[in-house]
Amino acid sequence: MGTPVVLSSPPSMGQLFAKAALTARGRGGELPGTHLSRVAVAVDPAQVADYAEVCRFRFGDTLPATFPHVLTFPLQVALMADRSFPLALPGLVHVRNRVDVVRPVSVTEKLDLEVWADRFAPHRSGATVDLVASVRSRGDEVWRGRSTYLARGASAPVGEPTDLEVEIGDVAQAAVWRVPDDAGRRYAKVSGDVNPIHLSGLSAKAFGFKRAIAHGMWVKARALAALSGRLPESFRVDVGFRKPLFLPSTVALSTGQRDGGWDLAVRNAKAGTDHVLATVRPL
Amino acid sequence: MTRKAAIVGGNRIPFARSNKKYARASNQDMLTATIDGLVARHGLAGEQVGEVVAGAVLKHARDFNLTREAVLGSQLSPATPAYDVQQACGTGLEAAVLVANKIALGQIESGIAGGTDTTSDAPLAVNDDLRKVLIAANAAKTLPDRLKLLARIRPGQLVPDQPRNVEPRTGLSMGEHAAITAKEWEISREAQDELAVASHHNLAAAYDRGFFDDLVTPFLGLTRDDNLRPDSTVEKLSTLKPVFGRGEGATMTAANSTPLTDGASAVLLASDEWAAEHKLPVWAHLVDAQTAAVDYVHGGEGLLMAPAYAMPVMLARNGLTLQDFDLYEIHEAFASTVLSTMKAWEDPGFCKEKLGLDAPLGSIDRSKLNVNGSSLAAGHPFAATGGRIVASLAKMLHEAGPGKRGLISICAAGGQGVVAILES
Repeated sequence: MGTPVVLSSPPSMGQLFAKAALTARGRGGELPGTHLSRVAVAVDPAQVADYAEVCRFRFGDTLPATFPHVLTFPLQVALMADRSFPLALPGLVHVRNRVDVVRPVSVTEKLDLEVWADRFAPHRSGATVDLVASVRSRGDEVWRGRSTYLARGASAPVGEPTDLEVEIGDVAQAAVWRVPDDAGRRYAKVSGDVNPIHLSGLSAKAFGFKRAIAHGMWVKARALAALSGRLPESFRVDVGFRKPLFLPSTVALSTGQRDGGWDLAVRNAKAGTDHVLATVRPL
Repeated sequence: MTRKAAIVGGNRIPFARSNKKYARASNQDMLTATIDGLVARHGLAGEQVGEVVAGAVLKHARDFNLTREAVLGSQLSPATPAYDVQQACGTGLEAAVLVANKIALGQIESGIAGGTDTTSDAPLAVNDDLRKVLIAANAAKTLPDRLKLLARIRPGQLVPDQPRNVEPRTGLSMGEHAAITAKEWEISREAQDELAVASHHNLAAAYDRGFFDDLVTPFLGLTRDDNLRPDSTVEKLSTLKPVFGRGEGATMTAANSTPLTDGASAVLLASDEWAAEHKLPVWAHLVDAQTAAVDYVHGGEGLLMAPAYAMPVMLARNGLTLQDFDLYEIHEAFASTVLSTMKAWEDPGFCKEKLGLDAPLGSIDRSKLNVNGSSLAAGHPFAATGGRIVASLAKMLHEAGPGKRGLISICAAGGQGVVAILES
C-alpha cells in the first residue's frame, strides 16, 4: 500500500493538462506509490445524461458500464501530472483498457474512488504503465478499471513487458457509424478529457497527429452501448486500441457472440484498419 | 374458440412532475427501464414474448419505432416483435386490449402492453413555413434555385412549433373543455377537492402498506410518485385559485386537475397455460373492452364524456349492471371528469336521450372507487396511465379473491374513451 491522498473535489482537468505539459521535461525514476482517492462521491445525473447521449447509452437508473472511468479519470490525470510521475503526460498513448463491471451501479449510489499507478514495464518502442482505478460502494468493490499507456522513447525498469494485444475471433459487421468532426469535442465536454489531440486538427498537429483523433474510451463506450440489453450483469470488457480513429471517419462495428460474451471490432469502413478490438466476457 | 387473456404482472417507474427528476429521460429511456424492470421481476431475461405493444402521446419523429427500439435495448429477446399505438390518454389501456385480444384468439401466448410519456423531453417541430422552404430547397436541382428558396426564410419562421395541450379543432385546452362539462353538470368545487384529497390519501396508504412493492421500480432517485401529497386536505385545497374556466363558476384548480407528468408503465399479459408454465400467478382476466367517441366539436357533448357512452354498450354485452362490480377505476384526468361521468350515469334524462336507455345506469358505491388512488395523486403521463390502472386493478382483484370484478374507464383527447372489465 502506497501513500494515500484523499481529495475533497475533482481536480481541474485543464489546469492539470497545462501543468503536465509545462513539467514534461526531465521526468524519470520509479512509479510513485501514491493512491489518490475521493470518498462518497455523488454522481450528477445531468452529467450521466450528457454522457449517455454522446455515447448512445440509454439514460436510466444504472450507470453506463464505462461511466465510472469518467469519475476516476481526473484522479489518473492528477497522478500523472504530478512531478513524481516518471513519464511525461503529453504524448502518452492509451493502448489498452480493461473494465470490470462487478455489478450494475445505480446513479443514486455514493461512490469511493481510488486510483494508483502499476506495472511500469519496458516496451519495444518505449515504456508502458497502468493506471488502475477501483470504485467501491459501501465498502464493496463494484467497478475496476485498468488503463495501459505507452510512452514512446521512454525507459522503464527491466522486467516483463505488458501484453497489449486483445485477440478476437470471427466477427460480422453490425453497424456503420459516421463519426463527425466534432466527436472529440463532444466527448471532451462530457468526460473532462480535454487532451488537445482530440479537440481540433490544429491542436492535434501540435502533438504529431495529422488530424484530431477520437477518444478511445468513447469508441469503447459506444461499442458497449450497442450491446445494451445484451450484456451479463457482471462482466469484463477488455479493449486494445490499435490505429487512431481520425476525425471525421466512417467506421464499422462488427460483433460476434463468444463464450457467453462478445468479441467486437471497430474498423475503418473502407480500409478495414483496426481501431478497436475488444472482448466482453461474464465475470 | 376464444379464451380470456390473463394479467400476470405489471411494472412502472414512479411518475415524476414535468421538468423535475426525469427532465433528462426520454420516452425510450423510460420505456426501456420499465420493460427491464418487468423482465427482472418476472424472470423474462432473454425470453421472446409474443408481442410488445406500447406508445407515447407526445412522440419525437425519431421515435417512429419507439416500442421496437425499446425492446432491442431491453433484456427481452431481440426476436420479440413490437409495435406502437397511440390513442391519446387511452393508449395504455388500448395497448392492453390489443395484446389481450391476440392472446384470446390464440395468435400469441404472452405479451407486454405499455405506454410512456414525457412532457419534459417533448418534441419541438420546425415551424411549418420553414419546413416547407427547407423541403423545397432540398428538392431544388441547382444551387441558385436552392439559394433563392433559402433567401425566403424569415426570422419568425425560426421559432419552433411547441406541442400544446390543445384540441386542434376547438383551440381549447383539455382543462378548458373539462371546465365547460363541469359547469354543465354543476360539479361543485368541494366535491372535486374531496375527490382529489381522497386520491392522495388512498395512494399514500397504498404505498405505506407496500401495495406497490411489486408494481413499481425506483428510477433516477424516485421511489414514489413525486406529485403525491399524503397530507393533502380539503381546507388546503380550498385556498387555491381556479386555473380553468372563468369567473364565479370556475371550480377547477391545479390540485383537482392532473399536472403534466413524466413516466412509463407496462403490463404482462398471457394465456393461462403460459402463466402456469412460467409459474406466474393469474391476477385477473381481461374480460371485455369497449371504445366510444363523441362529437365534442359540433355535437354539444363534452370532450371527455365518451366513456359514459362506451359503458352501457359493454355492460349490455356482458349482461351486467353498473353495480355488479367490486372495484371501479375511473381515470382522474380531472376530478370534475370523474364526477360528471358518474352524474351522467345517474341522470335519467342523459341515459334516456343520449345513451338510449330505459333506465339510468345508476350510481357507483364511492367506497369502491379508485381505492388505491388515481391520476390526481400519481400524476398522468398520458400513455402510461392505462398500464398503471390495469396492473393495479388486476392485483387488487387478485388480493380480494376469485370471482371479483373490476371496471376501468379512461377518457381521452379527441373525444374518445376506453372502458374495460377485469375479473379475478
